[in-house]
Amino acid sequence: MRTLKTSEAAGMLNVSANTLRAWERRFDYPKPQRTAGKHRVYVHGEVAALRDALRDGLSISSAVSRARESLRSDTHILVGALASFEIERADGAMEAALAMRSVERTVEEVLLPSVAELARRSGTDSAAWAIGSRWAIEWIRRAHRMTPPPVRPGAILIVDATADELDPDATTVRALELFTGRTGIRVTSVPVANHSGVADLVESLRPGVVVLAGRHANDESIARFAYAVRAAAGSLPLAFFHRGDAEVSRTSAVHQLPVSPSEATAQALALLDGHAAPVRFTERSSS
Amino acid sequence: MSTHGSSALRIIGSPAPAAAGPRAVFCGHCAKTPPGGVAPEVGSRVCVSCGLGLLLEAPEALAPKPRDAFLVVDRSLSVHALSKRAEKLLGLREIDALDKRITDLLVGADAEAAGPHHLSALLVAAAAGADDVTEAVVRPADEFGVRFAARIGPCGPTPGALVVLDLG
Repeated sequence: MRTLKTSEAAGMLNVSANTLRAWERRFDYPKPQRTAGKHRVYVHGEVAALRDALRDGLSISSAVSRARESLRSDTHILVGALASFEIERADGAMEAALAMRSVERTVEEVLLPSVAELARRSGTDSAAWAIGSRWAIEWIRRAHRMTPPPVRPGAILIVDATADELDPDATTVRALELFTGRTGIRVTSVPVANHSGVADLVESLRPGVVVLAGRHANDESIARFAYAVRAAAGSLPLAFFHRGDAEVSRTSAVHQLPVSPSEATAQALALLDGHAAPVRFTERSSS
Repeated sequence: MSTHGSSALRIIGSPAPAAAGPRAVFCGHCAKTPPGGVAPEVGSRVCVSCGLGLLLEAPEALAPKPRDAFLVVDRSLSVHALSKRAEKLLGLREIDALDKRITDLLVGADAEAAGPHHLSALLVAAAAGADDVTEAVVRPADEFGVRFAARIGPCGPTPGALVVLDLG
């Protein structure tokens, strides 16, 4: 998901940063996310939708309302289809969304928010979640199968630390596999529990980065896998993705990838190219 | 098809547009005029004074002043904007009035009017771009005994109708 700093969002809308904050208070839109440093970042799609709506609006309120509607329509259809177990209609909603967006944007702006909304609305113990989550993962896998074979040098090993297909993080981790695969590098995913024989895998794949993705597996399992990788391949860049408030030791050098799969992909590629410096944790997380 | 002589087909000019009077630019929320009072460029229509309204254009005789109570509606008579004073007067915020029909908020209260839909007809004509500024007497939809004189006319650039209440 592409994000904008406050100054970039304000520039795109031709308003001041103060006005953006006034809109946030009054309309709760555009609603910024917060970086680790508590800075506001705005979702590009939200700002672009508002810019378009402002162009021929009669008031800020009506422009905000239109912007919200335009963003929700595809998500509404998809959530509605999944909540009512209409898989064909869900496929149709994705087809329609693909007509307006790239695969990455479709996944990030429509599929992932819809799955999150389904989890919020129905709960992850519901039948709707079971059907919807599996459908979403299958959709991403289908898209992955249509990805051309790797053409770029380099490989990424994704260590899957999610529980199963019903794990709320599973869809996002599959999205990361898809996005990284679509960049043309070789991507292989292996469950964290399957650390036996990792040396052979590493020897065959020769990954430049190892991404530990998901928060279900405990730190001990993660550490065991990381040890096996390092024993086989020496010091490789390690990165966490959707690992939550992971605790790492004082001496660890580990990269925290952004929560957005597209941003995480960009950062993983930078790691692969040796352009990104690791985030060094100087103290244990207090949370 | 044959033509006979030059008088059979001829190009005639469009009717001359009605002479548009001077226009004023104002914020659709606080009614302040932008610096220089000039029409904004596309893409920079947000009021720099309050940041909560878009800059609109209307005939000078109609354009509201700061502290006026006014409403902006579109061609379907749905409310798009309410000034701060109109919010107080009608007892609802702009965001809650959004997409309500103006007739849910204001109704005609003019015994001399030409029928129950007189107010709607004036608003539709204004939103369609009629240049005239008309006057009507209105009252809040759920209140009796309170009447306001209202000026009604077109506003833009997106076609809409502006209702300015004269609170005396």
